[in-house]
Amino acid sequence: MADPSSNVLSVRALVAGYERDLPIVRGVDFSVSSGEFVVILGPNGAGKSTFVKAIAGLVPIHSGSAALGSFDITNVAAHDKIRHGLAFVPQTENIFATLSISDNLQLAADILPRGRRGTRIAEIYSMFPDLAARPSLRAGQLSGGQRQMLAVARALVVDPSVLILDEPSAGLSPKIVSEVFSRLKAINQANVTVVLVEQNVKAALAIADRAVILVEGRVRHEGPAASLADDPVVAELYLGARREGEGARP
Amino acid sequence: MTAQVIMDGLVTGSMIGLGAIGVTLTYSILRFANFAHGEFISWGAYFALAVVGLLGGLSGALLAPIGPFSFGWALPIGTVAAVLLAGALALVVDALLFGRLRANRSTVIIMVMASFGAALSLRSLLEFIFTSKPVYYTKALQIALPLGGGIRATPDQLLSLAVSAVLVLAVHMLLTRTAIGRSMRAVSENPALAGVVGVEVRKVIRTVWLLGAGLAAIAGVSAGVLVQIRPQMGLDLLLPLFASAILGGIGSVPGAMLAGLIVGLAEAIAVQAIGAEWRAAVAFAILVLVLLVRPQGLFGRAE
Repeated sequence: MADPSSNVLSVRALVAGYERDLPIVRGVDFSVSSGEFVVILGPNGAGKSTFVKAIAGLVPIHSGSAALGSFDITNVAAHDKIRHGLAFVPQTENIFATLSISDNLQLAADILPRGRRGTRIAEIYSMFPDLAARPSLRAGQLSGGQRQMLAVARALVVDPSVLILDEPSAGLSPKIVSEVFSRLKAINQANVTVVLVEQNVKAALAIADRAVILVEGRVRHEGPAASLADDPVVAELYLGARREGEGARP
Repeated sequence: MTAQVIMDGLVTGSMIGLGAIGVTLTYSILRFANFAHGEFISWGAYFALAVVGLLGGLSGALLAPIGPFSFGWALPIGTVAAVLLAGALALVVDALLFGRLRANRSTVIIMVMASFGAALSLRSLLEFIFTSKPVYYTKALQIALPLGGGIRATPDQLLSLAVSAVLVLAVHMLLTRTAIGRSMRAVSENPALAGVVGVEVRKVIRTVWLLGAGLAAIAGVSAGVLVQIRPQMGLDLLLPLFASAILGGIGSVPGAMLAGLIVGLAEAIAVQAIGAEWRAAVAFAILVLVLLVRPQGLFGRAE
C-alpha cells in the first residue's frame, strides 16, 4: 500500500446512491496514489459506476468523505471539481453530439486562464491528431471509438491530476478497445493518475497497476493487478472468469 | 391583397420573433414550455411606461420626439431600464417558483402548470397596479412613409424592424461565438455532462432568464409603441410565440426569428384575406401543422 500522504484521491466510508434510504455504495474506503493506474472491477450491479459518479458529483453522497489531495471535495459541485483537478468521463453520452469537436474542447478550456486556452488545445490536438484533422466536424458524426477519444481528450484539456473513466470500452470493438486502452496507458505514463471502471477484466488488468473489486457496494478485494489476474479464486468469484486466458465479461 | 400586407406582417413578426427567442431558449435549456413568458412582454412594456412617466415628470424635454420618431429620449432610457427590470423579475420568479421545483426534481408537467400559475399571478398584479385600461407611450401621430412598390411604413415601424434584426444577430453571435453561448448549447444538450466539464449550470440558467426576459421586454416596448399597452398584450402574443418557437425549431435563434416573421406574415395575410377575427386561428393552425408534418421545425434536428 502506498504512503497515505501521497494519495491524490482518498475516499473514506463513502455511502452514496440516488435515494438516501437505498444506498448503492455502502461504506467504501478507497485511495489512489499519484501517478497510479487503478481499475475498479466487479459484477453488474456492484455499484462501480455509482461510486465514481458520486466522486464526480453526479450522485448524492449521503455520508463519508472524498478528498483530492488534502482538499475535501465531498460536497463540492461537479462543475467545481474539475477546477480542482478531477476529470470524469461518463460511460454514455460523454460528448456534446450537437457541438463541433472544436467546441467540445473549447468548452473544457473555458475554465483555464484565457492566455492558456489556445496553447492547451493545440497540445491536445497534437496528442489526438485524428481530432485535429476535422475540428469543425459535429461530434455526433464521429464513430464510437472517436467519440471516446474526444471524451478523453476533452477531459485532459484541464490537465487533471486524476482522470476517472467509467467503462470507456462499452460498445466498442476489440480492436478499438485495444487502441483506447493503449492511449489510457500512455496518458498514465505521462503522469496522470487514472481510475478506470471496467467490465473488460482481462484488458483492464493488463494495463492497471492495482485493482479494486466492488461487490454489492463494498470493497471485497484489492491488490496488484498482475497478481489478481492470476488468482483463479478471485476471478471465479468476483470477475466471472471461467477459463484462464478468457476475456471475461461478467 | 396588397403589398402593404408584407410590411404589416414583418413588423408584427419581428415582435413575435423577439419573444419567441426567449421561449425557444427557455424550452431548450430549462426543458419546459414557459407559459409565463408572455407576461415578461407585458411587464417589460409597463416597466418602460413607468420609467417614461417618471422621466417625463422630471424633464418634459425627454418626451420631445427624437427626429422622425414618435417618442423622446425617455423611451430608449425606459427600454434599457425595462430590459434590466424584466430580467430581474424573471430571476425573482425563478428563485421563488421554478428554481424550487427544479430542486425538487419536479416533472415537466408540474413546471408547465406552475408557469400557468405564474402567468395568471403576474397578469393580475399588472392589472392591479396599472388597471386594464389601454395606455400609450405617446399620443403623437406619425405619417407612414412611402417605401416603393405600394408599401408604406412609419419610422417607428422601420426602427422596430431594425432593432429586431440587430438583436437576433447579436443573440446568434452570443450563442455561437462566446464562452457563455457554448455553455448554453452544452447545457441544452446535456446539463449533467456540462456540469462535469466545468459549466456552472445555474449561471447558464440565470443568463437564459435575463436574455429571454430582456428580449421579451423589448418586444413589449415595440408592441407598446406600434399598437398600445395592455396587461393582456403578452397573453395575446403567447400562441404566436409558441408557434414560432416550434416552427423555427427548439433552440434555434435564427429559426425563432424567421418563424416569427412567417407567423406575422401569415396573420397579416389572413386578416386581409378572411378577416381579423381569424388572426389567432392562424398561429394555432401553423402550430398544429408543424407538429404534424415537421415536429422538429425548420432548423431543429429530429430526435
